[in-house]
Amino acid sequence: MTRVAITGIGVITPIGSGRQRFWDALLAGTSGIRPVASFDTAPFPVHIGAEVQDFAPEQHLRRLNPSTTGRASQLAAAAARMALCDAGLDAERLDVRRTGVSMGTTSGEPLFIEKYNNVRKAEGEEAIPADIMPRYPCHVIPTHIAMELGIRGPCLMIPTACAAGNYAIGYGFDVIRSGRAEVMLAGGADAFSRITYMGFSRLGAIAPKRCQPFDKNRKGMVPGEGAAILVLEPLEAASARGATIYAEVLGYGVSCDSHHMTAAHPQGDGAIRAMVAAMRESGISPDDVDYISAHGTGTPTNDRVESLAVRTLFGDGASAVPMSSIKSMIGHTMGAASAIEAAACSMALKSGWVPPTMNYEEPDPECDLDYVPNEARKIDPRVVLNNAYAFGGNNASLCLGRYEG
Amino acid sequence: MSPRVVVTAAGVISPLGAGLENFGCALYSGKSALAPAARFPGVTAADLGEFNPQPWLGNKGIRVLDRSARLLAVAAQMALTGAGLSQEGAETGDPDLGLVCGTVFGSVHSITSFDWSGLTEGPTLVNPMEFPNTVINAPAGQAAIKHKLRGVNSTVCAGLASGLYAIHYAAEFLRFGRARALMAGGVEELCEESVLGFRKTGVMSESGCARPFDEARDGVIPGEGSALWMLELDDAAKARGRVPWVEICGFGSAQDAHSICGFDVRGEGAAEAMEQALMFSDIAPEQVACIIASASGSRAGDAMEARALDAVFGDRLADIPLCAPKAAFGEAMGASGAMGAVVAGLALQQQQIPPTAGAGARKGLRISGEAAPIAGEYALVNAFGCDGNNASLVVRLWKN
Repeated sequence: MTRVAITGIGVITPIGSGRQRFWDALLAGTSGIRPVASFDTAPFPVHIGAEVQDFAPEQHLRRLNPSTTGRASQLAAAAARMALCDAGLDAERLDVRRTGVSMGTTSGEPLFIEKYNNVRKAEGEEAIPADIMPRYPCHVIPTHIAMELGIRGPCLMIPTACAAGNYAIGYGFDVIRSGRAEVMLAGGADAFSRITYMGFSRLGAIAPKRCQPFDKNRKGMVPGEGAAILVLEPLEAASARGATIYAEVLGYGVSCDSHHMTAAHPQGDGAIRAMVAAMRESGISPDDVDYISAHGTGTPTNDRVESLAVRTLFGDGASAVPMSSIKSMIGHTMGAASAIEAAACSMALKSGWVPPTMNYEEPDPECDLDYVPNEARKIDPRVVLNNAYAFGGNNASLCLGRYEG
Repeated sequence: MSPRVVVTAAGVISPLGAGLENFGCALYSGKSALAPAARFPGVTAADLGEFNPQPWLGNKGIRVLDRSARLLAVAAQMALTGAGLSQEGAETGDPDLGLVCGTVFGSVHSITSFDWSGLTEGPTLVNPMEFPNTVINAPAGQAAIKHKLRGVNSTVCAGLASGLYAIHYAAEFLRFGRARALMAGGVEELCEESVLGFRKTGVMSESGCARPFDEARDGVIPGEGSALWMLELDDAAKARGRVPWVEICGFGSAQDAHSICGFDVRGEGAAEAMEQALMFSDIAPEQVACIIASASGSRAGDAMEARALDAVFGDRLADIPLCAPKAAFGEAMGASGAMGAVVAGLALQQQQIPPTAGAGARKGLRISGEAAPIAGEYALVNAFGCDGNNASLVVRLWKN
């Protein structure tokens, strides 16, 4: 079976954009969580969010017009340009028919729904511009990447909510393995939206001040936005062209809780099965896993169930596997989250360092693992597991390995 | 040789007919479901109207499902029952049974309504129970809960090609050994938001008649519904004593990288998708016994497909029976590709191409308002979109 390498990383996050800036900020424990700026939170009981601060679309986009392109598409297309550049691939010299896009998202382009309703409320339905509805459906995100880069191969959006990034990287991995493309741009993107904020706020899921995954006093998640794109290639081809290989995709596993639309299965049934499937496909056992990038949203339930799932699966060895949540710094970037986390995992495998869980102060008896509290750690991982769980009971675990050259 | 993926059942709910038999009968009798839609004054559509899922789903747990989730759950109920894989009565569902759903607008009505409530009543007064339905994967997640589907659960979006992408995605998952049985296809609901989109962008037929490939065509007629195939590996189907219906052969896809809302009339991506589908099926164009077209009555879209068909099949095109079933069930968006695949399966099984509702003679295409015999094992299904997504699938009549 064709082995698949990660050779390029493009990220836009609330703690900075570009592979190195993001990674440095992550290891330094930087927080991207601030008072929400993109809309007025006065009517809400909470006011913090993780918005991207440093993004100017016109600095990145050469073909797309920012004024007619949704924010999630802008973030995604910019991250795609960064990733290609990072991989040392020239967009103008790609075999475009053998290059594809695979993306994940939670909400697609929800700002167009907000605009639809704003206009409807202010001026009535007949005033709604004709171009709003065609710009909303989530498939426009990968299509916009294809348009920006002239890519003409497979092009798919997999909107499996907050696990979507892992699903999308998984599909990119499948496309390379089945010989349908030579290069895949795979990742996730979501834009900060009042709809998402309102939903999580009404569920009582948003933390008032900060995100504290696995801490005894954790109060919730913090909605965020961002994008990450990984460049995937056959490992042999990447090696032959002398590309930097950050990591190898070993396999992935998906499952469905079939239990509740928003609440995790109380025993972590689906989470366990996704991890087991990912490890089986990767040909590894729990003993081989050196680090887990947690879904770790910071909500009381998620963190307890995820810890329980890892404890159940790894048994006594669970405490010896460092597991951290970068959502403590970048918030929950929705469909981009597991793609950004996969980028972080790739950098962990390349650099030997793993990022910390910030704001960790008081251990919770129900979360009894090593969460890499507050300080990055050098552990030289060889195999890492990236967990992602979503509304709809959609779970996906991705397994990445160090490339030994 | 990679494992063979076969179809063991189908579920379809469309204004043309609910259930494979009703859908097939209506299609072969030349009926069309396009009519003035009571829910949308002044709009002609293939609309299920006040659709009631209760006959299929009972009453339990239905209230929280939005229209898309209900349509999908009904199609899933049919496919599960047809395949003998219903999990009803089971304490926990089968962890190797799952669902892959294609859609275009997905939960657009649920998300718009939720935001509207927040905007008009205030964000602290919206009903939190309505939030879960706003995510695009909500129909698939809800159907999984309703039918106890614990295996692979995925939602895939590639515009009007979504339904075929879903079938391909599920077939790949089966080949990679990640599931034992997967339902795959698509769902789309008609709602005020999507109808407004159709209306405002001017793609809708003013005459209220979809005339695929016709010189006089003047636009599309929106539709809705859901279609799913139950896919399994042939060995697994055989072990259960099931006789497959058709086999999934090659899939092809290409993106035009042209526009999110305008066909690239050069048709290069469409031709590429068809050529790949033939190549991955290891067959030559002359082995194609019939074509289920994507054509919907769109001026640009149908011209693009005609040009691409000509590029792939050349002079032989005029000899290959072709059906454009959107003349009967409208542009059902995320469900269209899957409905087209169901039509292909029926055509192979009956060795007869269904009529294209209301079609007269078309230059260079063998299309007819009457059913006609076909001879051969392979059918080609197309799903091409104005978003630049093109997909084609070859299916084969099952032979051991």
